[in-house]
Amino acid sequence: MCDTCGCGNPDEFKIHDHNHDHDHDHSHSHDHQHDHDHGHHHDHNPEHGHEPTHTHEHLPKKVISLNMDILSENNRLAERNRGWFEGKHVLCLNMVSSPGSGKTSILEKTIHSLISTWKIFVIEGDQQTTRDADRIEKSGAPAIQINTGSGCHLDAKMISLSLKKLEISDHSILFIENVGNLVCPAMFDLGEQKRVVVISVTEGDDKPLKYPYMFQTSNLCIINKTDLLPYVDFSVETAVKYARQLNPNLEFIQMSSKTGEGMAEWYDWLGKQF
Amino acid sequence: MHELSLALEVIGLAQREAGKNGVSAIQEILIEVGDLSGVEADSFQWGLEMLVKGTILEDAVVNIIRTPGKGKCIGCNIEFEMKTRLDVCPECQCFPSGITGGKEFRVVSMLAE
Repeated sequence: MCDTCGCGNPDEFKIHDHNHDHDHDHSHSHDHQHDHDHGHHHDHNPEHGHEPTHTHEHLPKKVISLNMDILSENNRLAERNRGWFEGKHVLCLNMVSSPGSGKTSILEKTIHSLISTWKIFVIEGDQQTTRDADRIEKSGAPAIQINTGSGCHLDAKMISLSLKKLEISDHSILFIENVGNLVCPAMFDLGEQKRVVVISVTEGDDKPLKYPYMFQTSNLCIINKTDLLPYVDFSVETAVKYARQLNPNLEFIQMSSKTGEGMAEWYDWLGKQF
Repeated sequence: MHELSLALEVIGLAQREAGKNGVSAIQEILIEVGDLSGVEADSFQWGLEMLVKGTILEDAVVNIIRTPGKGKCIGCNIEFEMKTRLDVCPECQCFPSGITGGKEFRVVSMLAE
């Protein structure tokens, strides 16, 4: 539960770019965001925010009718990110999973295989360290690391700020490797076109039932580390059955980034997203 | 999940909207939390009440209304109530094709002097 993990300070995160500069210039960049949002359902004049049509100033009490989505600011920024990706023909994928499912290894292998065909960029999200971004850069793709501090998820504002530093080319792929956490990232749209949830066979095959929100909001489920199937009590059939009950449209790829099993299918899937 | 950061979002939203409406204190805030929104209402309310000191919501009564979850059956197409995201259709025991209600998480209104 994040209410105990202390992720309450949204300005705590840091972005590390290649030159490791500008670490602290992000905290107040929302100063010129608009006050209105698009998540409410009542008619209003956009010039006048959400004020009621008459203000009852003559009355002792004033009801301010809002009907505003609390995540509307995140959702507005996410839509802006999505439009930016579409305009530049960038395929943006939000990779989510528990810690240790093999997301970074999948990305390393993917970059090795596709870097001659596609321009690939990576945004890495972790609470601390630049270890994953360092690994990705060694694979040959530009990467930027967001450290969320005590926070447990990436949000659309962090992505928006990172995009300005990463200098992403047109017609490229952007992988966002979210913080390892199957709970909180489910709620935050980053502006991605597709969400990819990764589970590994060393986890339980009932994981979809335990974390339904994430599986219901994902488009593709990668079942990773299949080379370990002979040694663990994980039924691929059971995991797929549970996940499909929650999300009938979910696609699956069985993969071992270690042996290469399923990587060709993954590359085909990526190609079809353009 | 992340109820503290969500509580901070509410405080920011309340301050922005109060400023637009020219009020300096809120007496009451009404928040809708859907049963399938992914927000633990009790933790969220606790977090909000903990964080409001020194803000425009410091003296506000926090009222939360819950919206029941609903899903549309993939088998018989009826809409049925869902208490959790794992609930199945009471008629045919199929899973829903999608969530149709209970995802709300919004500030409905505020009451000010």
